[in-house]
Amino acid sequence: MKESKSSKLHVQQQHQHNGDVSPFFMGKLLDPEASWDKDQLGDVLHWIRQVVALIFGLLWGAIPLVGAIWIVVFLVLSSGIIYGYYALVLKVDEEEFGGHGALLQEGLFASLTLFLLAWILVYSLAHF
Amino acid sequence: MASPRYADSLVVLGISIASAFLCEGISWILIYRTSNYRSLRLSIDKASKKLETMKTTSAKKPKSKKIDRFETSLKESSRDLSLSKFKSGGVVALVLIIVFGLLNSLFEGKPVAKLPFSPSGFVQKMSHRGLPGDDPTDCSMVFLYFLCSMSIRTNLQKILGFAPPRGAPSTGLFPMPDSKTN
Repeated sequence: MKESKSSKLHVQQQHQHNGDVSPFFMGKLLDPEASWDKDQLGDVLHWIRQVVALIFGLLWGAIPLVGAIWIVVFLVLSSGIIYGYYALVLKVDEEEFGGHGALLQEGLFASLTLFLLAWILVYSLAHF
Repeated sequence: MASPRYADSLVVLGISIASAFLCEGISWILIYRTSNYRSLRLSIDKASKKLETMKTTSAKKPKSKKIDRFETSLKESSRDLSLSKFKSGGVVALVLIIVFGLLNSLFEGKPVAKLPFSPSGFVQKMSHRGLPGDDPTDCSMVFLYFLCSMSIRTNLQKILGFAPPRGAPSTGLFPMPDSKTN
């Protein structure tokens, strides 16, 4: 019987609380064998979304890209990056974390507002 | 060197960042450092993790009474948490009203940024609020402040650890009665 990733949780957590959390955690970000706590995974996906939003906002404001279509493009790209990360890199079973919807909506609204803020500010300051 | 035409946007951003820190500071003093909030937060985190484990291990069995008890307890703790935040939230709301009034007095009728898209509907009502002319790409202080507040405050709360617990169900202050108890 295939061992569920969440059943490894208790064993993994025992090794986490030894003072060297950072290097362990950084390695965990790219480890498909790592087990994830719901809160930990949610936080990681949230911050990935924020970084992606900031990068896209700064980039599109600098080029500049103009038009509401680029908001849709941002949403599709950032959701694609999040999906690719948890499904292809981490290989998590989304059912254990509330389904695709729950994972994809982590940090979505904050990232959209951050993207718009960065895009608008760079566009206004750099091109006028 | 001439200042950028929309340098006011940086003033709005700066004031938003400062007010976000101020509001979180007030919230910490009035809410987050109290023993009541900390114990509620701890019990919600424990209960939601325990509930998650119980639901995972008994996925194929019908919902047990123990799970029901945990869910009810979680809902009650979440309601108490909302209530504790509600009482002190009035002070934060007052600060935000004062900050908004200050920004309004500084930038009313003046576009503070240029939008790289033409908004429509209710978004334009906010983005073009109080501005002269018909250019839909003129951005008012209100819209920029809204974007700043949403993005900066949410992420600041997350960084400081003040974000609401994920396990807490959003029942608000007035939850509907549990149909099983009727």
